[in-house]
Parts: sequence; C-alpha cells; structure tokens
Amino acid sequence: MLRMSKLAKTYRTDEIKTSALCPFDLEVKQGEFVAVVGPSGSGKTTFLNITGLLEQASEGQYWLDGVEVSTLGDKDKSRLRNEKIGFVFQSFNLIPELNIYDNVEMPLRYRKLSAAQRKERVEQALEQVGLAKRQSHFPSQLSGGQQQRVAIARALAGSPSFLLADEPTGNLDSKMASGVMSLLKEINQKGTTIIMVTHDLSQVAFASRVIEVKDGVINDVENYAQEIA
Amino acid sequence: MGIYYTKLAFLSLWKTRYMSLLAIIVIAVGIAATMTTYTINYMMTKDPLPSKSDSLHLVRLNNWSPEVIYGNRDEEHAPIYMSVQDAVNLIRHDKAQAHIPIAGFKDMLKLPSQDAIDAKMTFVRASTRDFFSSFEVPFLYGSSWPKGSDQSGEQVVVISKKLNEQLFEGKDSIGQLIELGEHQFTIVGVIDDWFVLPRFYGESTRAFKSPRDIFVPFQTQLNLEFWSPNVQAFECWKDAENASVAAFWASECIWVYFWVQLNNELEKDAYMDFLDSYVEQQKSLGRFQRPTLNELQSPAEYLKEREAYSSDSEIAVWLAICFFALCLLNAMSIIMTKFQSKAGEVALRRAVGASSVDLIQQYMIETGIIGLIGGLLGLLLSQICLFLSSQLYTHLSKDIMAMSVQLMIVTVLLSVVSSLIFGLFPIVKAIRVQPATQLKSL
Repeated sequence: MLRMSKLAKTYRTDEIKTSALCPFDLEVKQGEFVAVVGPSGSGKTTFLNITGLLEQASEGQYWLDGVEVSTLGDKDKSRLRNEKIGFVFQSFNLIPELNIYDNVEMPLRYRKLSAAQRKERVEQALEQVGLAKRQSHFPSQLSGGQQQRVAIARALAGSPSFLLADEPTGNLDSKMASGVMSLLKEINQKGTTIIMVTHDLSQVAFASRVIEVKDGVINDVENYAQEIA
Repeated sequence: MGIYYTKLAFLSLWKTRYMSLLAIIVIAVGIAATMTTYTINYMMTKDPLPSKSDSLHLVRLNNWSPEVIYGNRDEEHAPIYMSVQDAVNLIRHDKAQAHIPIAGFKDMLKLPSQDAIDAKMTFVRASTRDFFSSFEVPFLYGSSWPKGSDQSGEQVVVISKKLNEQLFEGKDSIGQLIELGEHQFTIVGVIDDWFVLPRFYGESTRAFKSPRDIFVPFQTQLNLEFWSPNVQAFECWKDAENASVAAFWASECIWVYFWVQLNNELEKDAYMDFLDSYVEQQKSLGRFQRPTLNELQSPAEYLKEREAYSSDSEIAVWLAICFFALCLLNAMSIIMTKFQSKAGEVALRRAVGASSVDLIQQYMIETGIIGLIGGLLGLLLSQICLFLSSQLYTHLSKDIMAMSVQLMIVTVLLSVVSSLIFGLFPIVKAIRVQPATQLKSL
C-alpha cells in the first residue's frame, strides 16, 4: 500500500520559488490500476518520480508498504526501489549494448540472488511478455512494441508491488499501444498495483481509478469519462 | 558483482572506444615519461649492494704533503686513495674481514694462438680474491683465485661472461690461457652477469660504466710492474726516486682505492684503532706528516662526496611527474566527457535499484581497466624509451636503462591507482545526476 500525507514539491532557485505539486493526501491500495492524467507541465511526472523515489518531496510524509521513505538514505531508498517498484518509461530506456536477457536481468543484479534464481525470474518475465525466444537479441533488433514489452519484463522481473509507468505507449503506434495496455491490464489483474501517467484518454479505460493533476493540484476523479465529455 | 562490472566495463569501453583509447594513450605517455626518467634516476642512485652497504668501507688515510692540504680545500679531508706501500701494509696486517684494493692497468689482450695484430687493448682490474666475495660477484665457471695467488702474485685471471663469449664462444674456459702484453695468464673463473650500479668501488666519474672484463691479483700487477699512467689517475706530492715502476710503487704517490669489509660496529671501531696505531707507527718512520684524519667511508657517503649523482636526473624525474599529472588531468577530462554520455544509463540503474556505492564500484572498475591498459602500454613505451636511451647514451652502462620486475609492477600499479584517483571526480560527478531528469536521454 502507498500513502502520502501533505506531500508537496517546490522547486527553488535564488529568486524564484515554483510550486510543482501543492500539498496533497493520497492513498493507493494494493491491486489498484491508477491512471494519472492532466495537461503537459501539470506535475504528473513529478508526482510519478516522487512516488518512485527518484525525487524527494519538499514536505510531507510518504509511506511505501508501511515504510516512511522521507528520511531514508541513498542505500535504503535504492533497496526499496529495487524490491518494491518497477518502472516503465515512454522511451523504453533499454541499454543498447546489452541483449534482452541482460537488460531484463539488470534489477536482479542489485539483489543477492544466485545466477539460477536470476535466470528463472528473467525467463519467467520474458515468458509473461511473450518474448522468451528473443533473449539473445539486442534492443535494436526489436520493434518499438517489443522493446516496451522488454522494459515491462525488466520491471516485472523483480516482482515489484508497484509498477510505475510514464506514458508507456507514448512512442508506439495504436496497434502496439493496445498490446502493451492489454499486457499491463493482465499484470494488474495478477495483483500488481499500477500507477500510469498518460496523455491518451483511450487508455484511461484500462484503469480502475483516475487521478488528475492540474496546476500542481492532485484530485481523484470519480467519473473521468463523463467529466471530459 | 566484480565479473558483472568487468563485463559492463568492457562493453562501455568498446562503446566509447575512441575516447577510451585517447584516455589510455594519454595515461600511457605520462607513465612512460615518468617511469623512464625514474628508472634511470633510480638505477643511478640506488644502493649498489644493499646487503653490504653497512659493512663495506673505503679506507682514507691522510698521507699528503706537510706543506699543503690535500686538494687545497677549506676543510681538510684525507685523500680518497692511498699509496701502494700502505695498501700492501694494510693487507699484510690482515685486520679486516676482507681487503679489497682497487687498482688496474691496460694492456694488449689476445689468445696464445692469435697473432699480435689480433690483440686488443683491454682494461684490467687488479684486486684481491676478496673483491669477488665482498662484492657478491656471481660465477658462471670456476671461482676466484686462491689466497696463495694474492700473496705470491700468480698469473691467474678471472674474466667476464662477455669476454668469455668473445674469446671462447661462451664455453667453459677454466684452465685456458690468455696473454696480457707479454705475459700468459691462466683463467680460473668466469663471472656471470653482474650488475653493480652505481659502480662505487673505483673512480666516481666512471660509476655508471660497466665493470672491467679482466681481473688479476693486485700483487701480480705489482710483481709484473703493469702500470698505465695515462689510464690510472694518480697524485704525487713527492717525486719517486727514479722513473722506474718499482720506484713508483715505493713512492708516496697515491692511486689505490682500498676497501675493507667490517661486519659490525665493534669490528669498525677495532679497525679505526688499528688505523690510528698504523698511522702513528708510520709517523714515527717520518711519513704521514699531516694531522691524522683516518676515515672509513661507506659506498653511499663516498659517492655523495664525489658527486657521482647528477642532480639533473632528479630534476628530470620531477618534471616527468609534473608531465604525468598533466596527462592525468587530461585523462580525467576525457573520462568526464565519456561518463557524461552515460548519464541516462546511470539514471536507469539508479531507478532499478543501484545505490551510489554500486555505481561507484562499476565505474571504478572501468576506470581501473583504463589505468591498467594505460599502465601496460606505458610499460611497453618505457621499455622502448629505455632501449632507445641505451642506444643513444652508449657511454653509460646498459644496466642503468633496465627496469627491474619490481619497477615494472610499480609502473602498472601507479597507472591504475592514479587513474582511480583522478577518475573518482568524473565518477562522482556522473552518479550525481538526477535520475528523474536523465531518464529520457538513454
């Protein structure tokens, strides 16, 4: 479970103080599929980065699976990211000189797992995204949709509680995007909590809950489809 | 994780191969310049006989004109060498563990079977059998001559490995004859490769030249009156009685370096007492009319006093170190540029759970590999530079231009350690990226 209390993010320069996220409270339960929507520059990615411990909130408290993360050091945060969170990015972020197997294995390398355990998890994750036979391929040998599936496999390999996706279909055509979204839905149905930032309103339908970020203000939206209509 | 990081390092080196190669070359050039000059300086200033540096002593007796100080110096010091009669007397008294007079001459050398026209001018070292044991001279064949040869002045020689190869094609030549001038000598020993640098026991101006190729007993030189005044430095404050070699031997002219081996302070004190009594005895005979300034000088003290080491080589080392530091700064800048292009990967690894320590380890291995390859390349370049130097400065011993195994290891370690130190800043800078802002740049 994820709980945020009076969390806020402010960027400061010498002269200007910019509020990226106004203080907000939020709770995401295990198994939810949360879509985070809002216009460009509204603070969606900042919210996702704070959720994924890639950025530090300026104020407030944040509990991730019961652990208060605001006071954690670099090592503990890294461990928490490694064990609890999986990331899927818009631009896939695969390392081009590593093959598919090595890309998926990457998060597991930072855990004390044996080679056999890592192999089992990597093969399982690649099986789940339908790319088990492409282990020795390199990212450049795959289509965009396949690359995003590899990125999802990498996120899944560590069996995270939360999967954070930042516009996961932003670089894909509609057919590939549909395949990726179906895969995410399937993963969610198996119990993984997903928080997904998206611009694409058609993907909101896959989510069980919608959060809107507008001018740094975060709100739950009960009937998003009706609201935008 | 070490194997994983090494694999990543090689992948990264290949990906940024031109920048990596540039960093490696810059480090290699710096290492080569530093280690070439350091090797030469080290070989020139190292302790020539570490196991004997405390026990070998040059004997200095103040045998000089009653009218003037030796060398016309402000502060009076005993001459560095002594007369034949004093050298012979000190050997005869036999008060030290070993007595090593350093004398010599030059003459024509040939095999008995060769014609006179084939004879070659050769420099000969005259000493005692103690020369070989005290200076730890290794033998390839045979050994030094027996003590009896020192006493009677037998016509025996020890030759170098090089000369043995020239005359006998490297075969065991013990018992073979050679001719020096008009005299035949029997070979009793062939010495193996022998490196003694700096060559402390003779003229300091020749400290960096190879040892001579022929050794004969000191007494043999005296008996056969081998004397080469145009080769051997000598100083006389009083003319010899006549122009004969025998008169020169009996004169107060000084030219024999005289080393003794004294194994501890007690032996040294006892020998100093002996020298004092010897000089007093000689004074009573009308010799040694200057103040008694007996001295036992270590090889290092002797070489320092005679300024055998040039300060130029030390300055060259410092300049080379400065050059190396500049090379490292350049390499640091290249590594920084190289790591800047990895900001996206760093951010991704942070996102999937790598801690700062994990990333520092990963990139230190990469930097260490750059340093290792740079060090190995630098070692190769150093060897080439040393070889070229040995070809250029043929008047100096080739042994000065040779790197020991320890120095080779130091070369590579220096490269790795300095690369790690200078690479640390680029690494820390690289891992300080904000993952959130870099994750779109992979």
